[in-house]
Amino acid sequence: MGTDRYAYQSRLRRVSPLPKLALTAAALLVCLCCNSVWVGLATVLVMGVLITALGGLPARVYLHFLKIPLAFLAVGGLTILIRSYPAGAAVVAALPVGGRLWGFTAGDLRQAASLFCKALGAVGCMYFLSLNTPVTDLTMALERLHVPHLMVELMELIYRFIFVLAETAASIRVAQESRLGYQGFRRSLRSLGTLSSMVFLRAWRKAERICTALDARGYTGSLTTLAGDYAPGLWLFPLAAGVAAGQLAVLYLERMAVG
Amino acid sequence: MRHSRRNRILLTGGVLAGLLGLLTINAGAMHIAEGYLPVNWCLLWGAVCIPFVAAGFLSIKRRIDAAPRAKILLAMCGAFAFVLSALKLPSFNGSCSHPTGVGLGAILFGPLTMAVLGLIVLLFQALLLAHGGLTTLGANTFSMAIAGPIVSWLVYWLLRKAKAPASVAVFAAAALGDLFTYVVTALQLGLVNGGMVKFLAIFAVTQVPLAIAEGLLTVVIFNVLEKYSRAQLQELRVL
Repeated sequence: MGTDRYAYQSRLRRVSPLPKLALTAAALLVCLCCNSVWVGLATVLVMGVLITALGGLPARVYLHFLKIPLAFLAVGGLTILIRSYPAGAAVVAALPVGGRLWGFTAGDLRQAASLFCKALGAVGCMYFLSLNTPVTDLTMALERLHVPHLMVELMELIYRFIFVLAETAASIRVAQESRLGYQGFRRSLRSLGTLSSMVFLRAWRKAERICTALDARGYTGSLTTLAGDYAPGLWLFPLAAGVAAGQLAVLYLERMAVG
Repeated sequence: MRHSRRNRILLTGGVLAGLLGLLTINAGAMHIAEGYLPVNWCLLWGAVCIPFVAAGFLSIKRRIDAAPRAKILLAMCGAFAFVLSALKLPSFNGSCSHPTGVGLGAILFGPLTMAVLGLIVLLFQALLLAHGGLTTLGANTFSMAIAGPIVSWLVYWLLRKAKAPASVAVFAAAALGDLFTYVVTALQLGLVNGGMVKFLAIFAVTQVPLAIAEGLLTVVIFNVLEKYSRAQLQELRVL
């Protein structure tokens, strides 16, 4: 589902999740704090290079994933970009509607562009984590970061059950669609309602059966697992520092160029 | 002459871009994307969430200490919320969106439990589907797992106390919870960049039909559940 499939194939899969988390956090923080067009673009590019070169992900897949948040970013950017000005204001492009100008000035354009690029860079950082680290490794890392045990266990169980329920939902959906269950609004709504409630029912039943099975095997209230064998991946720490330094260098160059 | 023609081209282009925007906004409109909020706002929304999540965590812990089986059930409920939000919801204008599950979750599990389950589900949505993000997790959790469910839950129980029919209460709870989530999201975006009215206007156009669709869907779900799983609903103390 989504990024998960690629995370299991990544070459960094066997590397301990903590250094990967550190790299993502450092790059993300610097990218957010810089708030500049070029740092954002540089970040998304560097993350792309790291994911493809270190993780072995095809560049095509990375680009495909970058498209997902684009819709939100484009609409959000437009909303910030378009403002109303009194007639005669110094706008770059505008439409006169009802005696006022609706458009953007150079400052608006700069603001929207920096927001857009910053967000793109941040998305790249997030992908470095999610395309190289399966969720099960991540929950292990959270456990080591002293997130409460119950919370981590809930996360692991939810993660597992997501796939079980998604499969159930997908097969019900196919059955409904093959019986023309999604023709028109009313029928779609009814089919979708039936589907959701059936998934809920089955989830409940499945949960009870899992409980019984666990009880039969001596369940005492918690599922303990051993941590996997990871490569320490300490070389990722200097890399994280290098990436952050590179981002700051881009910021410095940009400041110099703008003056 | 030439001036008016250029204006007309600009206007057409603007309208087309706007329509395109309205059609695509539905996919991930609710989740504030990664990197969209400045660091101080991320921290602020995260801090606002902490007391609610902590209270929810303690209530879950109490339930599990009383009955260990509750853990598996709660995890199933969390997974159900994730799968529900990944379904495609039909809408009046032909575009597709995803139900939020805010109303149903709040009615079934209560707002406190919902805060914790919602946090986990939103984290998985950010990691697995790139809906939302790690830094905006606090803001998204507040709008979708705390503010919306609280409104839904209050509306549901007030209407039930007022002897309204169950379907009316469920519809109002789901639709209003949905709308309130949008309002909070618009507020979160507007506080940072200004133009709150614009965000609200865009959301009003695109999300009111979606909220109604989700309300209707929740009623259908609830009717089926009432018919076939009375025991479970009673165990969750919904009825």
